[in-house]
Amino acid sequence: MLGLIQYPARLLRATKRQTAALALPDRRDLETIGLHLLLVGSVLLIVFPILVAAIVSTKQTGIVTGLADLVPGGHVVENYRTVLVDYQFGRFMWNSFLMATVIVTGKLALSIFAATAIVYYDLPYKDLLFLFILFTLLLPVPVRFIPLFQLVADMGWTNSMLAITVPYLASATTVFILRQHFLSIPSSIVETAKLDGVGPLKFMAFVLLPMSKGILVGVSVIMFVFAWNQYLWPLVIINAEADQVAQVGLALLEGDVVGGEVSWSLVMAGSMLTLLPPLLLLILFRKPLLRAFVIQQK
Amino acid sequence: MSSREIYTDRRTAGLLLLPTILVSLVFLYYPAARAARRALYSSQLGLDDEFVGLENFAELLTSGGYQSRLLLTVGFAAVVVAGVMVVALLLTFLVHEVGTGKSIYLVAAIWPYALPPAVAALVFIFLVHPSLGVLSGPLATLGVDLDWFADGRQAFVVVTVAAIWKQIGYNVIFMIASMNNIPETLTETARLDGVGRLRRLLWVYVPIMTPTLFFLVILNTIYAFFGTFAFIDIMTGGGPSGATNILIFDLYQEAFDFFNWGLASAKSVVLFAIVGVLMYVQFRLTDKYSHYGA
Amino acid sequence: MGSDEPYDRYVSRRRALKGAGAAVTAGVVGLSGCVGDDGGDSGSGGVDPLADELTVWHAMGGQLGETLDGIAADFQDETDIEVTMQFQDSYEDVLQNTISGFDSGEMADMLQVDSLFAQQVLDTGEIRPVENILPDSFDTDDFLDNVTDFFVIDGELASMPFNNSNAIMYINRDAFAEAGLDPDDPPSTIADVRAASETLVGEGVTDYGITWPNHVWFVEHWYSLEGELMTDAENGHAGDPSQFRAPDAVTDLYDWWQGMEEDGLYTNPGIEAWGEATSLFVEGNCAMLLTSTASVAGLIADSEFEVDAVPYPTISETRVGPVIGGASFYVPEGFSEDRYDEIGQLLEFMADPSVQVDWHKGTGYYPITESSLEELRSENWFEENPNYETALNQLRNGDAGDPATKRILLGPARQVQTTVQNQSVDIIGSSDLEGSIDSMQEQATAELEDYYG
Repeated sequence: MLGLIQYPARLLRATKRQTAALALPDRRDLETIGLHLLLVGSVLLIVFPILVAAIVSTKQTGIVTGLADLVPGGHVVENYRTVLVDYQFGRFMWNSFLMATVIVTGKLALSIFAATAIVYYDLPYKDLLFLFILFTLLLPVPVRFIPLFQLVADMGWTNSMLAITVPYLASATTVFILRQHFLSIPSSIVETAKLDGVGPLKFMAFVLLPMSKGILVGVSVIMFVFAWNQYLWPLVIINAEADQVAQVGLALLEGDVVGGEVSWSLVMAGSMLTLLPPLLLLILFRKPLLRAFVIQQK
Repeated sequence: MSSREIYTDRRTAGLLLLPTILVSLVFLYYPAARAARRALYSSQLGLDDEFVGLENFAELLTSGGYQSRLLLTVGFAAVVVAGVMVVALLLTFLVHEVGTGKSIYLVAAIWPYALPPAVAALVFIFLVHPSLGVLSGPLATLGVDLDWFADGRQAFVVVTVAAIWKQIGYNVIFMIASMNNIPETLTETARLDGVGRLRRLLWVYVPIMTPTLFFLVILNTIYAFFGTFAFIDIMTGGGPSGATNILIFDLYQEAFDFFNWGLASAKSVVLFAIVGVLMYVQFRLTDKYSHYGA
Repeated sequence: MGSDEPYDRYVSRRRALKGAGAAVTAGVVGLSGCVGDDGGDSGSGGVDPLADELTVWHAMGGQLGETLDGIAADFQDETDIEVTMQFQDSYEDVLQNTISGFDSGEMADMLQVDSLFAQQVLDTGEIRPVENILPDSFDTDDFLDNVTDFFVIDGELASMPFNNSNAIMYINRDAFAEAGLDPDDPPSTIADVRAASETLVGEGVTDYGITWPNHVWFVEHWYSLEGELMTDAENGHAGDPSQFRAPDAVTDLYDWWQGMEEDGLYTNPGIEAWGEATSLFVEGNCAMLLTSTASVAGLIADSEFEVDAVPYPTISETRVGPVIGGASFYVPEGFSEDRYDEIGQLLEFMADPSVQVDWHKGTGYYPITESSLEELRSENWFEENPNYETALNQLRNGDAGDPATKRILLGPARQVQTTVQNQSVDIIGSSDLEGSIDSMQEQATAELEDYYG
């Protein structure tokens, strides 16, 4: 230690920089390769369960009991045809898609309104109001289930699109996320808007929305997945099988396995089908997801 | 008054809030309140209600079984929240650092999140079923003898890993947005100062990402308490010996298997109170320690 | 009608509670009260039908569900009465929807209830015995004795038996032969099962000897075959039970079970893991499987080896008889008389020999009426498909008069079921076998006291 201090500081720094410069290309390359290896490894680990599901979906009975079984089987066409045609998955998925689209659109609109009011309006008891919305997260379906069923049945909504969409339209999560995001928009921008005398609707449309593209895409993906995966509520409130959603269709397949049959492959084929729309969504919106806040930086 | 509160017209504010409040009241609070009233009644099959006052609550608070389930749930939630966030943060950081192929990695990392919980649980059974699982053989050669149908600690680990795995994508979505928001100049400065990658993540990125991380803590807590139900239901049924019997499963079983709706309602009120307090504290911390804007 | 009287025994306590809480109920369950009132003529709580057409909530997935749809279509062709068969995922979900339905006031017309949950549904006090719904021409004597023994409550057929089964043992003949065992002399006691398992595993033919889903039904079979009651009051068929029994034979059972587990001769597929257990057998991990006779068709089709269905292994040499399994159809109280007329026609149709014969052939559930049995015999069906006869013989050889062969009929059946299943795992992993069995007995007894006390 003491010996090091003997060297003039400048010399030491120069040496350091020189070695850095010399080693730079090699080290960077190695690091990049290392990063990719790490990423490929972790991503494989994360996707592995889905790969197993995909392989199971190509087999006859779909039992895989060891790594050696992890080769695709020859029943792809047969299994997926059974699921799509015999189990009407095409129909179910279309219904799910409609339901999810209505929920995402409605939730997005309602939540933007609510978050704008909470952040940009001078209101009394604002925190309480916000907590009122936030605390809806603590009311799990099993608790509300029966009274909700009675309520919706009394409204005459059984078997309708209203029944499987409207009760979902208030979103604590989305309001919460948008509130956090709005709070992170520099107040200087907001003040400019105020000085220019921009009304609330224009403010939302021309200031808030363009500055929130990434986060809006993010929450939309999450809302879509949430809506797409709804199971218990559609199961009870929708009686007509033709109006049923994909997750309930999946339960139809699972019923066989629960009953002791070995039709794991059909269950997994159905699961893979229901995973496709979220995947498409992710691929479509990968850019805004990555560049979420870039616009805000300018 | 914050400088953001640029509007004062309360009627407009009311109109903007009305739809959300209306839907919350009608479809969320009202049914929940109706169900919660049941907590004051003894209702074994849901058909015959007899007013018993706070008896159901007294039964819960004095039940040793319930107390240990409560502790178990808090422990489970802590492990799940911490686990999800550490893994997601590291993964997000890797995606952030890598030059090419970002979006492919991102899509692959997020995708499993789209799996419905019930299917995710089923897939996990495929992987680690003690005698049928794809991984039980390889794990045995590594000296890990899977026996989680009988071994409570193993069951806890298996369910926790499954619950963490399912929630990673959700966190990555927000973390990547937040991390990409960090000005490039900060990263450059850190690099020039010779700050290593991991230290850059911990000492430069994480503090800036605090608001995002804080709200993810809240949402992950909700997930751990309520959203992990399917894993317990399908994988362990709360067992063995109650090792995975978390409150939401216990509540569901009381209501829909045993039809003790009075007691189940009391349980849901207690659960609401616990998570409500937790959430309130987290929310306060978020607003206190997060600095928004410049 | 007067259909309620025979049920007083089951209903009285609940009715009393209900009367006392009537005012409260009207307030608390406000909306459901309204719905009930709309029903008008329904005196007791009252329900409305779910839809104009007849609705059936069932738990038959896949192929079985399609068969039910087919039955509905045939019925519609014959009578012009529309029927929707609604699959509810599982017996547990049917039960949940049933209880919730009574609460909300909208009910399906027929409910397929697992025999295990029979008392829970009866305890609602909102069930009309099918005997009062079936057309007068219907002959209830046609049902097999063993079947009616469970479903006749206080002298009346409470529900329409439909898909009934018991547990049998399936063996992998090829594996037996490979291990040098005689597949024509299968194990008949649990000691035999152990001996065979030791050979199978010792010879390296299979990983384990035997498996079965961790479900209370299998424990029930061991009790009944041994002639032992699971609870007092004849398993709940003769009054309110107050005691869960654990006779010596049960200690023998768990002692065996524990030894099998410790020596790697048995593997636990998981709680209520019917599919996993079947997979273990079909994949050749286990050469013996205990499961429902309803799996016979699927097992033969899915296995790449020769399968034999043989009687359930007993604890000792005693073999009194199996308990019944499967489900029956219940009909709620409170609809219009015209509607009951239509429901009666559907019930009659489903018990028709032609329907029953097809159902048996497609599934393995045994035929439940003498006339359908005769029809199958006249076709030489059992000679050609002996595996389909195992469960039936097991049933018919059983002593239907012994109360132990009546399946538990308990209000807190689900609680007792959960306790037995969870505690079984604890017992076989415990170093204190007797103490663990005592703890299971205490917990199950406490549940009975809680409910009936």
